Amino acid sequence: MSSNSIKVLAGNSHPELTNKIIEKLGIDKTNVFVQNYTNRETCVAIADNIRDEDVYIIQTGIDHEDLNINDYLMELMIMVHCCKTASVRKVTCVIPNFFYARQDRKDKSRSPITAKLVANLLTTAGCDHVITMDLHASQIQGFFSIPVDNLYAEPSTLKYIKDNYDVNQKDLILVSPDAGGAKRVASLADKLDLQFALLHKERAVANEVSRMVLVGDVKGKNCILIDDMADTCGTLCKAAEILKENGAKQTIAMVTHAILSNNALERVKNSELKKLVFTNTNPISEQDKQNYKECIDVIDISGTLAEAIRRLHNGESISYLFTHVPL
Amino acid sequence: MSGDLVVVGGTSHPDLVTAICEKLNIKQTTSSIKNFANGETSIQILESVREKDVFVIQSGCGHVNDNLMQLLILISSCKIASCNRITVVIPYFCYSRQADIPFQSKGAPKLLNDGKKANENFQDFDNSGNKLFVSQNGTLIANLLTTAGADHVITMDLHDPQFQGFFNIPVDNLYSRPILEDYIKWEIEDYKVDLDSCVIVSPDAGGAKRATKIADSLGVPFAMIHKEKKMRATADENNLETSKVPSMQRADSYTSKFITTTMLVGDVNNKICIMIDDLVDTGYTMLRAAKLLKQQKCKKLIIVITHGIFSGDAIERIIEANKQHNLIEKLILTNTIPQTEHLKQFTEGGIDCKILDVSTILSEAIRRIHNGESISSLFERGWH
Repeated sequence: MSSNSIKVLAGNSHPELTNKIIEKLGIDKTNVFVQNYTNRETCVAIADNIRDEDVYIIQTGIDHEDLNINDYLMELMIMVHCCKTASVRKVTCVIPNFFYARQDRKDKSRSPITAKLVANLLTTAGCDHVITMDLHASQIQGFFSIPVDNLYAEPSTLKYIKDNYDVNQKDLILVSPDAGGAKRVASLADKLDLQFALLHKERAVANEVSRMVLVGDVKGKNCILIDDMADTCGTLCKAAEILKENGAKQTIAMVTHAILSNNALERVKNSELKKLVFTNTNPISEQDKQNYKECIDVIDISGTLAEAIRRLHNGESISYLFTHVPL
Repeated sequence: MSGDLVVVGGTSHPDLVTAICEKLNIKQTTSSIKNFANGETSIQILESVREKDVFVIQSGCGHVNDNLMQLLILISSCKIASCNRITVVIPYFCYSRQADIPFQSKGAPKLLNDGKKANENFQDFDNSGNKLFVSQNGTLIANLLTTAGADHVITMDLHDPQFQGFFNIPVDNLYSRPILEDYIKWEIEDYKVDLDSCVIVSPDAGGAKRATKIADSLGVPFAMIHKEKKMRATADENNLETSKVPSMQRADSYTSKFITTTMLVGDVNNKICIMIDDLVDTGYTMLRAAKLLKQQKCKKLIIVITHGIFSGDAIERIIEANKQHNLIEKLILTNTIPQTEHLKQFTEGGIDCKILDVSTILSEAIRRIHNGESISSLFERGWH
């Protein structure tokens, strides 16, 4: 095999993360123009030669004002297809926050399993490998017939807790805002040797919280709510309220994917949540960063992604990253 | 053969879906199409489609990527709900034009985000010797539809006839030609009075074939506008050459590196020009052609377009140009794309605009495909 190198291409969704990744990999960004025409069709043009290279395309599933999640998904698929027709050796999609990850089952009659559809579409477009992070349901890996590396933000989360709190004090408690996240929280609690509690919720309509019951004792403790994503933050704010009612000293929330739709940060600011900590799998605007700097904290996971790309390119094992934060 | 006929509509063009259902005399299958707070599309088909013959109608207009994803999810929902067969009806097929160089100062569609900066960047690379590799999306879109579960595609007036070959499933490309011809024959007074006073014009070489077909069947002469792009270095010689040929008029416009020239082939002097094209997007080509025809002293200009996209500020520009030069006598569009809003704007702007209905052809094609009948007669005669 002739030697080939890593080429990182970026969609429009998260340029900041891409810049961090290429900086950590010590390579130059490949020049690619991803444009939206006035008729709203997407066009991709690659300016550098990528023939026979190992291509990584970074795109995350988020919603902006003028471009929404479907635009970014189409961008990604067109980029993959464009690379494929430009004779690259291998295309890997790096999707920190996977598209349509929550629509992973047929929960009602005649509703689609969109995550499966997205998996099929990506494969059809020509994707050879997928790197993602904290999939909403790890079964989504099985929707693909190509290899999927599901990375975890857990090592970074652990590091953050250890750096910012004294875990030996035993006044910390981890709380899962729903029964589904109990496994995630239990695993973290084991590693930190902390107790954990759980909130059970009865949900009537998607994105709306109805009733919550606390299982466990949080009296006089500092609570850390752990979840995989924060969308409208309704659940987290409600949970913080319940914890307060049950005598918690203060509450912060830690999530991997901050989608933050519908003025979520404003809601956090006005709630019992002292802080919302999230990773940069999704971008956050400079303006929000300024306006809400007291109540948010961002964990950088670009190192994990960059190291995964490096290891994948060199054919090394990825599993080290499941338990360690790369330097 | 297959189960009952069922029509599922996307949100891109509800009026057309209603019109088609009315003509088929069936009720549209109810579905809930919403967006989650994070912009993801959420869909549920509310009536059983088990073992049915499903027709999904969605036009590739408006917010194209949103509507395309919605279509893919709709197809997938029906497939998962055990329907018998899925036929996708896409009156205007998005991404059907192969993008050439993505950004030109004029002519090509403009950019939404950060346009100028990207444009400058692009020009640096354009001069670097390494040619830009531009995505060709046709195959991708075809494959995506097939992957989602489409078994058959119906569309209308595809920009490239080759587009059909990108699919591994049958594609029926319908023509709006019968409707357009009928309109010209019966509604345009001048045509009825004097055949020889009319001329069919194609605004670019790509549409020549389409326009000659109409010209032949109507028995009127044909003219064509040719657009050329030449390197600037050779521009001066060209200007000299053309000045010797009086029948060819050139209107030159300079871009950074290329020179774009338009010239008219054929005679339009004191004639009623009927300009025919399959789609209008930014309207630059259309306006350039209209101005050239006016310079060449055409008597009246009637523009006939199948797909009126009118993206960006196209409508304002067309209205403005018409006010200045009084170019357009009549603008005729079809409703493959929602035109109610465009019609209002054009009428207010003083352009006589008329929308032709294609739902008859589409619904007849749906009926015939459902019943396993031939649809080739629709190509020639249309349906009344």
